Amino acid sequence: MKRFLIWLKERLVSKGKSDSMLANLMRMLAATKDKELACDDVYAMLENFTEAILRGEPVTGLMASIEQHLEVCPDCRDEYEALLKMMKPA
Amino acid sequence: MTDRDNDSWVNDLRKPGLQREEALRDMRSQLERVLPRGISRWLSPNNAEFDDLVEDVTQETLLRVLSQLDSFEGKGKFANWVYKIAVRLALNELRRRKWRNVSLDFLQQEADDGGVPFQFPSADPSPESMAERREIMHLVQHAINEELTAKQRAVMQAVVIYGVPMEEVARRIGRDRNAVYKLLHDARKRLKSHLKKSGFPPEELLAVFDK
Repeated sequence: MKRFLIWLKERLVSKGKSDSMLANLMRMLAATKDKELACDDVYAMLENFTEAILRGEPVTGLMASIEQHLEVCPDCRDEYEALLKMMKPA
Repeated sequence: MTDRDNDSWVNDLRKPGLQREEALRDMRSQLERVLPRGISRWLSPNNAEFDDLVEDVTQETLLRVLSQLDSFEGKGKFANWVYKIAVRLALNELRRRKWRNVSLDFLQQEADDGGVPFQFPSADPSPESMAERREIMHLVQHAINEELTAKQRAVMQAVVIYGVPMEEVARRIGRDRNAVYKLLHDARKRLKSHLKKSGFPPEELLAVFDK
């Protein structure tokens, strides 16, 4: 474990990533709400949300809650982006 | 290929027979055409594993579609519901492969030994960054170590510093993704409130990085 941490530290330091990690964490904290949807809630509505985005619908109400979740959840964000690419007309 | 509406997809897939076979064939070819677009950011189409992954995920997706057909609510397009299942399967498999040889033992360390202190990779940010950013880093690091539980700290370290997907964290600690999300949500709320109370709201700290 120690060896892995040292290796990781060196790798990350060499790329000077601390700044972007910190900025990323601050972005997540700034977007944090007291009440947030869980990953399962977002997954259940993900294709409907993506369809609405592609139709250019305004992001309000429940859609805004989904968007907020996507800002703080990298896993759901990746899934949304992959789905968006698949659903967009080629 | 037949253009089907939602009802036709569901009806054709529901009962075994020729119609189901044809619907499965159509959905398979649709997935094999569209899935590569969705996952190419995570795995290059030139990668030797790419075609096999698409084929395996497509096959698994079709099995799940058949077993979960009753859970399709019909609010959106059927094909998009199927794509969503494929995306989750594909990205989870890619997450597993990417992290399979990486030891994340610290995630299993419990509070009895105090856990692992949270640390940004370097006390000094990149050379071009300012002293102000360095101060913020120390401030945030201190807040994380003082305010969060050992478990929250370890998960935050994994997700924020190492970029480990929550799904993979969940797999390692034997929980589901919802539970990991909840744990991190509680940690974010606690941290945000602490920074606010100390006179450093995250929104203002963030502004330093946008300069």
